[in-house]
Parts: sequence; C-alpha cells; structure tokens
Amino acid sequence: MTGVPPTAVGTGPLGRRRAKAREDGFDRPRFLKLYSWLVYLYLFIPIAVVVLFSFNSVKSLQSFQGFSLQWYDDFLSDPTLRESLFVSLRIALITMIIATIVGTMLAIGLVRAKTRWSPAANVLMLIPLVTPEIVAGISALLIFSQLGIHLSFWTIVIAHITFSISYVTVVVRGRLASMGDEVEQAAMDLGATRFQAVRLVLVPELWPAIVAAGLLTFALSFDDFVLSFFTTGEDTQPLPVRIWSAIRFGVSPTINAIGTLMMVVSLTAVIAAVLLPRFFGRKESGIKVLTGQEE
Amino acid sequence: MSAKGFWSRFLLPGGIWLLLLFVIPICLVLALSFGYTDELGRAVYAFDLSNYADAFDPIYIPVLLRSIGYAVATAALCLVLGYPIAYYIARHGGKRKHVLIALLVIPFFVNYLVRTYAWVALLADEGLVNNALKDLGLTETGIQFVNTPYAVIGGLVYGYLVFMILPIYASLERMDGSLIEAGKDLFGTPSRVFMHVTLPQTKQGILAGCVLVFLPAVGDFVSAQLLGGPDTYMVGNLIQDQFFAASNWPFGSALTVVMMLFLSIWMLGYLRSAAREARDPVSAGGV
Amino acid sequence: MSGSRLSRRQLLQAGGAGALGLYGLGALGGCTVERPIDKPESTAAIKPEIDGDILIYNWAQYMDPDIKKRFSEKYGVEVNEVNFDNLEAMVTKLRAGGRYDVIWPSTEYAYRLQQEGLLHRFDRDKLKNADGISAFYDGGWWDPDNEYTVPYAYYTTGIAWRNDLVSGMTGSWNDLTNPDGAGKMFILDDFQEAIGEANLINGWDLNTADPNQLDVSKDTLLHQKEFARGISTNSTQNLVNGTAVIHQAWNGDIVNVRNQVDNPEDFSYETCKEGVPVGSDLMCIPITARSPGTALMFMDWIIQPDNAAQNVMWNGYPQPVDGGKEAFASLVKDEPSIDVKLEALGDGGMEYRLDNPDDRALWNQVWTEVKAT
Repeated sequence: MTGVPPTAVGTGPLGRRRAKAREDGFDRPRFLKLYSWLVYLYLFIPIAVVVLFSFNSVKSLQSFQGFSLQWYDDFLSDPTLRESLFVSLRIALITMIIATIVGTMLAIGLVRAKTRWSPAANVLMLIPLVTPEIVAGISALLIFSQLGIHLSFWTIVIAHITFSISYVTVVVRGRLASMGDEVEQAAMDLGATRFQAVRLVLVPELWPAIVAAGLLTFALSFDDFVLSFFTTGEDTQPLPVRIWSAIRFGVSPTINAIGTLMMVVSLTAVIAAVLLPRFFGRKESGIKVLTGQEE
Repeated sequence: MSAKGFWSRFLLPGGIWLLLLFVIPICLVLALSFGYTDELGRAVYAFDLSNYADAFDPIYIPVLLRSIGYAVATAALCLVLGYPIAYYIARHGGKRKHVLIALLVIPFFVNYLVRTYAWVALLADEGLVNNALKDLGLTETGIQFVNTPYAVIGGLVYGYLVFMILPIYASLERMDGSLIEAGKDLFGTPSRVFMHVTLPQTKQGILAGCVLVFLPAVGDFVSAQLLGGPDTYMVGNLIQDQFFAASNWPFGSALTVVMMLFLSIWMLGYLRSAAREARDPVSAGGV
Repeated sequence: MSGSRLSRRQLLQAGGAGALGLYGLGALGGCTVERPIDKPESTAAIKPEIDGDILIYNWAQYMDPDIKKRFSEKYGVEVNEVNFDNLEAMVTKLRAGGRYDVIWPSTEYAYRLQQEGLLHRFDRDKLKNADGISAFYDGGWWDPDNEYTVPYAYYTTGIAWRNDLVSGMTGSWNDLTNPDGAGKMFILDDFQEAIGEANLINGWDLNTADPNQLDVSKDTLLHQKEFARGISTNSTQNLVNGTAVIHQAWNGDIVNVRNQVDNPEDFSYETCKEGVPVGSDLMCIPITARSPGTALMFMDWIIQPDNAAQNVMWNGYPQPVDGGKEAFASLVKDEPSIDVKLEALGDGGMEYRLDNPDDRALWNQVWTEVKAT
C-alpha cells in the first residue's frame, strides 16, 4: 500500500533551545524556503490537474473548456461504479477495525511481554513493512488458490489486514514505548485484575495512537491498488482496480472525478487522524502520534 | 497466571495471523518457484530448477539490474528532494509545522494510479506542459517527457517521496537542539555544523527513508506501465505479466524469489536496525 | 544483550520456522495451485428466465452503463460489473473459482473454456433477438451448434496514424517502422497482436508455432522496438495526447480518438495487405454462474437492435447484430477503412488461434523476451 510509512519509533529530547538556535546561519534560509516551496509545487501540480479536469466540460485531458459536473454525474449515475465506491469504503472500514485490534494487541504484547518469542514476533511484524507489495499480492493469491478459497470481497479484506497490522503495531508501539507501566501497576495494587488494568488504564492511555493508526489504515486500504488487484474476484471490484482497467484502455475524465472523490474521503480520514486525538484530551496533534514524535 | 503468560497472549492473534497469512504464503511462493505449468496452463508444485535457470537467463538479469538502478536513483532523488524540506519544517516550521507536514502528506492520499496518470496528462507530447512550452516559443516540436526512463523514475519519486520525508523529519525532530549549539562552538560555519552534527545525528532516519523508498520501488509495476517506454520494463512488470498475462505462475514465483534475494541484504539491514531501535530508542538516535 | 547476538537468535528462530514450513510444503509435490472447479452434473440447456442478480465480467469501458441500468430497472435485478485488462487474467480468475454470470472471451478463449467444460450450454435460437445475429456467427468453429456463445463485437487490427505528421504510409505492417514515426510509434501490449503482425511481415502463417519462424519474428519485433516509443494498449490516449503518431490499434479505438479531438480529419486508420487479424468478442455464461437464466436474458437484451445501436455509439465497436451494424456504418461513413466487412471474416480475414498450450507458452515466452530485451 502506498502511503504514509510508519516511522522509526522513539522518543528523545526535543530541541527546547531551538528558539535560541534561530540566529544560526542555517536559520535564515531563504534558499531552503524557496526549495521547499518548489517541492510543494511539484507535489501539488498533478493534484491540481486531477481536480481541475474533473470539472472539465469536454472529454479532454489537454484543454480546459469550461466548468461542468458531468463527470461526477457520470460516476454517480453508474451503479457499478457507485457500488465500487461502497466496496472500497467497506473494505477500508473492516480492515481498519480488525487490523487496529490485532495490531494494537501485538504492540502491547511486544512491549510488555518478555518471552523468548518476542524477538521472533518483532521480526515477523516488521517483515511486511519491507516486502514489496507485489510479493504480498502474489503470496496472498497463492494461499487463497491453494486453500480453494474463492477470490472475493473477503480475500481482499484479509490481504489488506495482513499488510496493515504492522503499520498499526509500529504506530501504537511508538506511544507505548514512551509510557511506563506505573499506572497499571498502581491500578493492580488497588485490586484491579490485569485485564481490567488493560481495559481501564492502558487502552485509554493508548487511545490517541490507536485512533490515529486506525484512520491511517483506513486511508491506506481505501487507496490500495496492488493487493486488491491480485486478490479481487467475483465481487464488485474496489475503485483502484477499476481505475487500473480503465486507464489501460483509453480514459475518460470520470477517472479524475473518482480521483477527486477518493482524495476527499482519504483526506477526511487523515484530518480525523490528526484532529481526533485532541478530543481525547491530548494536547499534541495526531501527526506527532503518527510520526512517533511523542514527548 | 503469571505476568509473562498474560502479556504473551497479546502476541498470539497478530503472530498467528502473520504466520498463517504472510509467512506461509511466502513459503508457497518459494515452493511454487520449483514448480511447472501443466497442459491446461495450471501451476503444479514439483521440484524443478528450470525456472531458476530461466530467471538467470542473460535476458532477465538486465531487467532486475534496471529495476535496482531505477530504485537507487529514486531513493537518491527522494533524499535530495526530501531532506531539505524535512529539515526546513523541523527546524523552521515553527507553529505551522504540523500544517506543513500535513500538506506534504495530502498528495499521497490521491490514488497512486490517478496521480501517475495526471503526470501523463501533464507531460504528454501534446500535453499541458508541452503546449505551454510551445506557446512560449521555448520549443518547436515539444520535449519527449513520457515513455522514458526519466518519466518512470519521476513517477516513482512522486509515488514514494513521503516514505523518505517522514523518517527524516522524525529523526530531525528527535535531535537535541543543544547539540547544534555545541556544534556551532566547535565547528563554526553552519555547513560544517551540518556535516559534523546534524547529518550524523539523522543517519538513522536517512537509512530508514532510503530502505522504505528503495524496496517498494524495486517491485513497482505501475510507474513503468503508465509512464514507461519500450526499454523501461521493470522486474515488477515482468512478474505481473507472468501471473496475469503469460499465465506462468511458477516462473513468476521464481522471479519473485530472485528479486527478494537481491533485496534481502537491505531488508535484513533494516530489520536489524529497527529491532535495535525498538529496544533502545535513545541510542538508536545515533548519539 | 548485544544487537548481533539477538539478531542471530532471531534469524535462527526464523530459519527453524522456515525449515519446518518447507518440510510441510514437500507434501505439495504434484498438486496444482488451483482447486478444480465443481462442475454441476446436469448439462441441460439453460432457459432464459430471471433467476437472480448477475455479475458481468468485461473489458473496462466496453459497454454503455445505461444499458445495464435499464435492464436492471426493467427486470428488477441488479447488474454488477467487474473488469479485466486481459483475457488470460480473466481465465485466471475464472479458474480460481470466480462466479461470474456473463464473460466476454474472444472466439479462441471461448473455444478453450468450452473444451475445459467451463461454459453453460443454452439454445441460442430460442433468444428473442437471435434472428438479428449475422450469419458469420452461425456455427463458427468455436461453437458449431450455437450452444455456448452470442457475438458481442468484432474488430480488425491495423495501424492508426497522424496523416498531418506522417507521410509515405503503404498499407503494410512495415509502416510501423516508417521513419516519420520513429520514436513516436507504439506496439500493442498484447502477445498475439504483436507476434501476429511480425509473423505476417515475415510471410508466416499468422498463428505459426514453428520455433524457427518465431525466432525470426522476434527479431522483427526487436527491430521495431528501436522505432517504438512504448508498448501499450491505451492507443486512444496515446494518439489523443500526441505521444503517438503511429500506433498499432484496433479499429474501434480510432473511432474513440476521432470523437475526442478537435482535428479528427488528421487521424487515419489502415488495415494491412499482409493480413488483417480480425477478432470477435463473444458473450458466454460460465459454468459457475449464479443466475444463468438472468444471464441469458441479459445477452438477449444486449443484442436487441435499439440497445445494440446505443452501445455501438457509446463504445465505437461494431456489433454483428441488427441495429449494431447500421449504427457502426453511420459512425464511420467518412472513413471506410475503419469499417469491418463481415465477409472478410470468412476466408480473407485471419483469426488468432493457439489451441495447443505448448504453442501458447512458446508465444508468451517470445513476447516476454521481446519486452525484457
């Protein structure tokens, strides 16, 4: 799945003296600023093209002739494309829920359990992150064929979950590693069982990271093409697979409308990932949680 | 129940899931790479080395080397594009830091296929850019951007840049600002401070970024399919074609295994450093 | 605990697990990856009657969605669609047990699937619109008794080019290497179309499986590659955005190109004197279909004259049924080269046909090598 990678876990002293460092020569960086804006430009030009041409009044990707909503209308009036959108959303939702639960448990186990299997589990968890997606797609196709499982909605979901667990684990573990187990210990001293300590103390503490990881997973799954391509079967194909078939043979600006709509959905998930942790009483934003920048 | 027993139960669902649905399937790929295709075109398990003999045929080795070359170029370009912007945001982002990072991430949530396709619309011979250049009189016949190796690498950079920026940003954020202060006293000029303090301090982030860009780029088949020309066939395309066009799953599996072998050094390197970092986050910062 | 020691132990553990796994996999020897599909015992012909929602498996952008929608409204069933981007992928998914109700194979693939027992039998003559089907599709080699297929569309493979930028086209497959198109020429990303045109240039049989002849054709393709800008099936877009000035193409695509540009008169299409590969896409009902009755009704609906006409206007490909033929003739009245004469499908036209799996494997290997070199 292309998208935001989980970054290396860790904490560290943030530059509290950064304000002072501002007088440094590197800190009046006109060149750096210009360079950064050029990179932003490079990143956003194609996006602008997609959005602009999704409103084009003619079937051209070369010239913009006027504003029209006809490509959105095309999309919305095609029941199978609409169905594809719902399928993509359902896959992403189920992936999010299951991968978040399994991934969070794995993160807790990796940090808290010190068995001789933990190192192996740790390596196992990291492998999907460094495996090219095509390999994951092929291996999923092989195992489903081998077991005689018809390729369907659920095979896509399973492949997505498999690939998403590690992302969740890395993000949640980043938060967990920065927390001590004192509060849980205190809760247990007060008579809570271990299970209650997890439910009432640990999970609420981890909640911002869990929410952020879940929404990240949602966005990754919603956008994924390669895994879906290998595991899609008789059920309605998710949107990216349909986009692929369509752009191999001519293309209509409907693709731009679909791309724009998908961006809106993913962005909603990401913005929620950034903002939601605040609603859980945490001052730092979700970006810190996602990039492992917890203090 | 002991604490150890209690906590290790948390490892079970994820561990078993990944074992059953990730490790065993990859073993199946390995097993099938020794198989053959029967008369009906179905893949059959066996022990037959001929797929590997084919995979190491002089025709296919250049494809693999080309993919690795493109991926290295992609990682290098991502580093050149990504480091300064990560540095800028981490050191000078101020209050807008989070907005700036969010802006960087947004493009990656437009579907990869659609984004790549947008480049075709922009860069085609009579696309938006070429038409603009012609109108400005900068070129007579237009510049051939698409269907070239540069376009494929450009597409890969565009696809994976965020994998470079975020780890570097994280490592810059993690860095102790006072080190730069100290470095200033010690080395004087900003560029020397950068070379002797900042760069070594963020080595871990750079390495993570390079691996996270390089590995998926090697296996990518979208960029070469949509932006490539006759001589930009990558190993991802070759494998994809074996599965869905030529219906030769065993050969496709052998190619996958060969690709993974080429990548395994990088993968192991990343796994080791990530495992070390998980155990000991502070020292992994590079102090 | 030192880093390397831990790693070594992790690796040992992983290795142990791997060895155990391999031991288990040893038992797989001789097994096929895919499970055999459960085929129903009864081979009775299916009847056209509504028996549930259907899922159709088609090329992308090959059918006007409005036709599905109206069928759906008329009969109160859902028509869902999934797409493939090449026929081999379609067969792969079908063999993996995919339960589709209508599929769109070529004549050759329909024949293969029928030989494997993967298609439902039905009585085509009982369809309401059966009379409108062109005689060419009556008892073809792929379906002698009209029991498995209903024709959907037909097309020729030729060369599309920009007549404002390229001169000296000769009506030969060698035009692919016309110097005016050097660096802006595309070959179709389809192993049969590519090898087929090379076979014709060399004077071989279109479907030759002689390794020596294929070797020569491979060299022909490698020579063409030096002139090529790319290998792609997206001829429409490559021509529209100016990246291609010469493109091996299907005749329906050129119709779409001319619909999309401001200068349709600059786009020409020719079929070639060495031979014109002609293709037919058919509709079939896989044995695994959930609602074969609805599927049959749907195929009947597609060949209803008004629907056929509407669909042709939408996708630019001729349909060999009443309504469809006339619609296509009106689409291409000012560019007769794009039209396909059904008579030509008989003896003059050529069809791709590789019945022997070894021949297919050889062709695939040649094409893979051409792409990889």
